[in-house]
Amino acid sequence: MKKFEIIDHTADIGLIAWGRSMEELFANAALGMFHIIADLRGFESPKKDFESEVNLEAGDYEELLVNWLNELLYLFEVEKVLLNHFTVESVGRYFVRARVAGNRINPKEHRILRDVKACTYHQAKVEEVRPGLFRAQVYFDL
Amino acid sequence: MGEEWKGPLRKVDEWRWLIPRDYKKGMRTDGLIYASERMIRDIRKDQAPEQVANVACLPGIVGKSLAMPDIHWGYGFPIGGVAATRVEDGVISPGGVGFDINCGVRMLVTSLEEKEVRPVLDRLLRVLFRNIPSGVGSEGRISFSVSELRKVMEQGAQYIVKRGWGLPEDTECTEEQGAMPGANPDKVSQKAIERGKDQLGSLGSGNHFLEIEVVETVFRPDVAEMFGLFKSQVVVMIHTGSRGFGHQICTDSLNVMQSAMRKYGISLPDRQLACAPFNSEEGKAYFESMVCAANFAWANRQLITHWVRESFEEVFGKSAQELGIRVLYDVAHNIAKLEEHEVEGEKAKVVVHRKGATRAFGPEHPVLPQRYRNIGQPVLIPGDMGTGSFVLVGTERAMQETFGSTCHGAGRMMSRSEADRRSRGRDIAQEMEAKGVLVLAESKATLREEIPEAYKDVSQVVEVVDRAGLSRKVVYARPLGVIKG
Repeated sequence: MKKFEIIDHTADIGLIAWGRSMEELFANAALGMFHIIADLRGFESPKKDFESEVNLEAGDYEELLVNWLNELLYLFEVEKVLLNHFTVESVGRYFVRARVAGNRINPKEHRILRDVKACTYHQAKVEEVRPGLFRAQVYFDL
Repeated sequence: MGEEWKGPLRKVDEWRWLIPRDYKKGMRTDGLIYASERMIRDIRKDQAPEQVANVACLPGIVGKSLAMPDIHWGYGFPIGGVAATRVEDGVISPGGVGFDINCGVRMLVTSLEEKEVRPVLDRLLRVLFRNIPSGVGSEGRISFSVSELRKVMEQGAQYIVKRGWGLPEDTECTEEQGAMPGANPDKVSQKAIERGKDQLGSLGSGNHFLEIEVVETVFRPDVAEMFGLFKSQVVVMIHTGSRGFGHQICTDSLNVMQSAMRKYGISLPDRQLACAPFNSEEGKAYFESMVCAANFAWANRQLITHWVRESFEEVFGKSAQELGIRVLYDVAHNIAKLEEHEVEGEKAKVVVHRKGATRAFGPEHPVLPQRYRNIGQPVLIPGDMGTGSFVLVGTERAMQETFGSTCHGAGRMMSRSEADRRSRGRDIAQEMEAKGVLVLAESKATLREEIPEAYKDVSQVVEVVDRAGLSRKVVYARPLGVIKG
């Protein structure tokens, strides 16, 4: 199973993510977003110098996913961290509880590719395509 | 990529294409796209016209759901979209403004000519690059306390001028005098403040840039003279917005609007069109926080203006005044405004959403500065990086047809991955230098994503609004040097 796929859009960029559970789906979507933001090749260092808890609620799964990604984007910009480790403990109806970790941005080491302004609701979708396989789609405003 | 749009487009005349309101259920008015026959073929290539039809479904929309020739597929609203809603029973939509609230452009004129700037261009660009922070997550050089930031939200560029970073005449020649009324900092989240507080006075990344240009073609000498523009004159174009501050305000508001839609029983074809009645608690809160972000953006362009002046002073060894550095005008192209327009023969207060569209008020409009009152508003249309800019003038026709609005720029027509494929192995900065345009960029990746061929031809876009009478071409300025995040 592919974790995620980046999709074309005239003005911006989209993301499709997969997971065998809702938790895995949310983690993979987050990973995909950080691949859009930065060049994460060779960025597998187990040493993390940032960790945070994320707890969110929303009105449905799409809203939850959009909120989740926007929350991580906020952490990226304010804490100046590249996140690449997502322990999604629970995605329920409709809340997410997770621990996220990553590294403080070091311009010498990390290559930031683009400014992602936000995750949008444009064609946002979370679905169970068959039992045990979940798929999500979102678009980002760049 | 998006699929080709198959809906009906009825040709009204050479520059106007109508989507009749019976095209889909829920449309309250017609859609109208301004474009040439040639451009319409490209416009049909994705779902942007469907978005024009979706906007026509907004409760309380008056006039038509409009789209300018730089229309392209956006979120909820198309980029290049204009829609006015009634204040009493209409809605306001954060999606109709976008994430980069008051992204806009400001043009500075100088009394310098190309021959004086060319020999020092390289140094001038380096000094500007050093003085004006740019790039992803770039931070400003001045740190503002939360109470100072509240003043920025309320007083915008005027506060920056009061602090000594500019001249009173700068804000006279800025839309809303650089301080739009109605701001309420209490409606701005702590998150927006955190995200924006270090970013005031920075260009950012993406399609934002600062460009040194030279006036090459004068289309209307009488208007150019009144604007103080002449052939060979060096001008500076600043393109940026409200940075992370505005992005977060939009994100927060869209979140609120999702539940507001359920609360007020509003159902629309696209969630990104999320909205609330203008007169509701949620609608007002969005408007008041959006104004804070709009004012932040004007303050941002004002601070950058100050550093442009300082950079020119350093390189030319003369005062900015001696160099004739003055703000021609400053326009917003992502904003919602409370304006008075004629609706069905009567004056009415409406909320004009401009998402990737520019205000283009015609002559005699009372909000215009004295200097431009007789002639109409300067309309600034940047191309993509390195293709130069047009200055136009607002018209009475725009007042009658488009709530005083026109196009905003070139409009992207190539996805980033396609731009990446096409630019692989190329040195974009060197290619541009060969064409006489010096480029300094924080990121080579950004340069490749922003290659000129990824954008529509801005001169075609401007041609349509000129021919359709929405605004008239005054001058074209060709680029000399670009700073890119």
